[in-house]
Amino acid sequence: MKIRRLSAAVAVAATGALLFSACTSPAGSDDPADGESTASSAEADGPCKADIGEVETADGEIKVSVEDEFLGYNSLTPETYSTYNSAVTERLISTFYYFGVDGTICPDESYGTYKALSEDPLQVEYTLNDEAAWSDGVPVTYADYMLDWAARAITTDGEVTEDGTEKPLFNHIDGLSLGDYVPEGPQADSVDAKTFTYDYERVYADWKIHSYPPFPAHIVAEQAGVSTEELVTAIQDRDMAVLEKAAKFWNEGWLSQPGQVPDPAITPVTGPYNFKADGWEAGQYITLEANPEYWGTPAATKELTFRFVGADAQIQALANGDLDVIQPNGPTVDTVTQLEQLGDAVSVDTDQGLTWEHLDFNFGSGVFSESLEAREAFAHCVPRQKIVDDLIKPIAPEATIMNAREVFPFQDGYEELVEGSYDGRYDEADLDAAKEKFEAAGLEEGEEIRIGYAAPNPRRAAQVEAIKSSCDQVGFEIVDAAAPDFFDKALPNGDYEVAMFAWAGSGQIASGENIYSTPGTQNYGGYSDETVDEAWKTLASSTDEAVHTEQLVIIEKQLWDTLYGIPLFAHPGVIASSSDLQNVRNTATQNGVMWNAEQWARAAS
Amino acid sequence: MLKFILRRIGASALVLLGASLLMFFLTINSGDPLKDLRESNDPNREQLMAERSERLRLDDSPWERYWDWLSGVGGCFTGNCDLGVTINGIDVLGLTQQAASSTLRLITLSTLLAIVVGVALGILTAIRQYSGFDYTVTFGAFLFFSLPVFWAATLLKEFAAIQYNNWIAVGQYAPWTIVLVAALAGFLLQAVLGGSTRRRLATAAGVFAFVAVMLFVFNALDWWRNPMFGIGGVLLVSAAAGVLVTALTAGLRNRRVLYAALTTAVVGVIAYWFTAPLLVDEPTWLLLIGLFVVAVVVSVAIGAAWGGYARKQAMLVTGITGVITSFVVVADILIAHWSDFLGLKSRPISTIGSQTPNFDGEFWERVLDMGTQILLPTILPTLVSVATHSRYTRSSMLETLNQDYVRTARSKGLSEREVIVKHAFRNALIPITTIVAFDFAALIGGAIITEEVFGWTGMGALFQDGLNAVDPAPVMAFFLVTGIAAVLMNLLADIAYAALDPRIRR
Repeated sequence: MKIRRLSAAVAVAATGALLFSACTSPAGSDDPADGESTASSAEADGPCKADIGEVETADGEIKVSVEDEFLGYNSLTPETYSTYNSAVTERLISTFYYFGVDGTICPDESYGTYKALSEDPLQVEYTLNDEAAWSDGVPVTYADYMLDWAARAITTDGEVTEDGTEKPLFNHIDGLSLGDYVPEGPQADSVDAKTFTYDYERVYADWKIHSYPPFPAHIVAEQAGVSTEELVTAIQDRDMAVLEKAAKFWNEGWLSQPGQVPDPAITPVTGPYNFKADGWEAGQYITLEANPEYWGTPAATKELTFRFVGADAQIQALANGDLDVIQPNGPTVDTVTQLEQLGDAVSVDTDQGLTWEHLDFNFGSGVFSESLEAREAFAHCVPRQKIVDDLIKPIAPEATIMNAREVFPFQDGYEELVEGSYDGRYDEADLDAAKEKFEAAGLEEGEEIRIGYAAPNPRRAAQVEAIKSSCDQVGFEIVDAAAPDFFDKALPNGDYEVAMFAWAGSGQIASGENIYSTPGTQNYGGYSDETVDEAWKTLASSTDEAVHTEQLVIIEKQLWDTLYGIPLFAHPGVIASSSDLQNVRNTATQNGVMWNAEQWARAAS
Repeated sequence: MLKFILRRIGASALVLLGASLLMFFLTINSGDPLKDLRESNDPNREQLMAERSERLRLDDSPWERYWDWLSGVGGCFTGNCDLGVTINGIDVLGLTQQAASSTLRLITLSTLLAIVVGVALGILTAIRQYSGFDYTVTFGAFLFFSLPVFWAATLLKEFAAIQYNNWIAVGQYAPWTIVLVAALAGFLLQAVLGGSTRRRLATAAGVFAFVAVMLFVFNALDWWRNPMFGIGGVLLVSAAAGVLVTALTAGLRNRRVLYAALTTAVVGVIAYWFTAPLLVDEPTWLLLIGLFVVAVVVSVAIGAAWGGYARKQAMLVTGITGVITSFVVVADILIAHWSDFLGLKSRPISTIGSQTPNFDGEFWERVLDMGTQILLPTILPTLVSVATHSRYTRSSMLETLNQDYVRTARSKGLSEREVIVKHAFRNALIPITTIVAFDFAALIGGAIITEEVFGWTGMGALFQDGLNAVDPAPVMAFFLVTGIAAVLMNLLADIAYAALDPRIRR
């Protein structure tokens, strides 16, 4: 997962991570959280969007906070890729699926359907809704997906990628991942076909979230000076004369100067909202209005305004009615207290999100690298329950310790997974057990343990303090080794015994392979275990969910038994909205509270 | 003088050049622009890092990058400015124009207010040294000076925005509030005006009664929601302003000047009567500025016509009166539009933003909207600056008041007004000029926080976002604007010295 911290106005960093590209990544510290529906006209049962029945777009405006400027229509270039930009563009361009409140993959059936025709070799068939069309009237077709494939497959040499490492022609945030798995590209009968298939070269466990929202091929073709058919042919024939022009427009043509609403002629949309003429004031806000051409359930409220406001200013702005929905980044106890003081005028929802904190051992060097007993001694003295009680529960009262790595406590299958892999022995600090292991490991009193993390981070400093007051009694000498350049220096150099950071949520099933297997690019500590490697291989090369569940239990159990590290908790998050709004619903994913913005409606008063 | 100014500009340019070099190197070494990617485990992480390195030119030598930036800036002199692009691929020149315009709007307004209020308070406290008023202002100044802006902003938003908006929904003062406000006003005014105990008591009682009655009348008229001022009010206030300005500058005994000032006020109101249809409906900024210029020219002409032996003084007084009358006219129009504005925006004072999104009122309602939006973020830096300005003015004023020549002036029988305004104040202004000039540059820096808490994207956001991303282009743009502003303000201060202090004029 890519992370971009645009406005680090809030020093506590944001996880600017987006789920649809979903791998995992260590995040600064805080991010949005999930929850249950607030006052809603239709109680949601299940993680996907609730069925709110017939909707007629009501006049009015709902104002929601995002923390940074809108950058452009194309959210998929490295320049523009951020949660804040996607918060806007996800309202504009539909795709085959979205993430439900707990990270469940929910199909958007009004846009289209997709299914695996065969599992091995993997073949996936996508069918677009017949009515699906760009707001300028041109239907969404195979051609748009051909362009999407080209953007994620073709290299600057005019070839389809071999292994995804070449220099891509299009500046796509996802690199060349699609071409790597589907070298032949989408297959269909004609350019304007509504059905097409991806023939995977090898099994891809996360095929369900492999499609991206497409961009209008007819616009790109026009800008490159060819017809849509010619563009598709050019992609098939790798006609670089055309493709270079197309790529140039794709990369740069949709960037906007702040305040200048993009030309509707080059930015047709397929979502419930569209840009509003003159609706963008640089540095202030951008307003979207309901897209009259949208064929699915229309937006419940006509105008949706994103105001660019830092987290500190959001609560009072909500109290004053300058904002209707807020999601302050990096919420603290104060955030929650202040929101609660606003009383009945606002609904507050707190919960835990898809970012989780953990302690990882250094297997490359130091006292923990060789000795399982030493790791166990440390794990026994870390006061996990106390950390959650003292630091997380004041923000999100229902927070629990996290006892798994690949499934979150609020997700389906968590109980079963934990039951099969962990017996609860490290929940509370057990100093006697810790001392026993400490001696068994042959450690001496005053063994120095450096806990490294990216500074500044007050909450992590508090965690280290809690660990120190407990573990120093066992004989360890805990050292707070925070550094601003922890990821740059200490982590790659191995100058730490324990690393503390967070991975930002994962919509992917197999993304953990990079973290836990040998030699995973994200396996910073250098952990290596054959059982784990084997299980990941099996998992990643299957599309069968039963296999996934079964292998995850093996992996988690082995990671607990050999102590790869210690998971701590999922980060807390807070949303709040004025009480007269209906259907505002918290989500654990990084899409943020506006994930179902088209359903928000003001109650008739 | 010209030589002096040119020399100053030359020296400033060199300083700016050196500082820009320092700033550039500090910025690019302030962090790791690839930090977020290093923490990522994207399969195409290497590609993304290579892409960003290329985009930010991380592999080029810093000197080369600095030189390219400098030549881009140099292009400004030949009409093709290039300040580079941000890490998000956005043209910095356009961003800077937007940011600078919003920040300068904020800063200019609060600087002007701070100068007027701060200097006035300083003089008053110096004249009433060691009085209750002096102690109160001193206490206030130290309080505001040491205010943490973040905290003060929160309080301001709570009371001046949220609570006020709750109150204006009804718009009625409770009786005890009226009594309290009236008592406070009475206390303050007697402290300022001073005199014997009896006189003080009389002042306090008079003010108390006046304010209390006014507030009750306002309540009865629902004035706060449907305020009106009227042409009579305009005349009254303008004439009063004319008298006050005359009293301060020429003395009321100078009848020519007094009549000139009053004529200006009357002419201004008559002109308002005739131009009202133009003004009230849908004017343009151009029209307003044009009318303003005409008003000032006419006022000065009135002064010249009336002036006689006191021509210069009369022109100054009528000019100032004309400006004040123009502002009173605008205020009258705005007040008349307030109830319509409330209809469009039921909670008039916002806590964030420089304008209400998608606000679609008429011209004057839009002006009101901008006014209510700029109110809170202006008050905050103003308070801090007022504190400094008033302290410096007070001490500088006290120093001059104790000089021998002031005693001489008094002993030769000059009126107290002449002693203070002509002899003491003018000399006291010299050191204050320096402070004000420095303060302007400091305010731009301080505006980073103000902008942040009021969701007012300007130079501060440009600087902060740039620095966080280790992206030199926007940081350097911030530096250019603030640096040039600082240099210009200091130059202005130097010129003002020359105007104030004949010893410097050569």
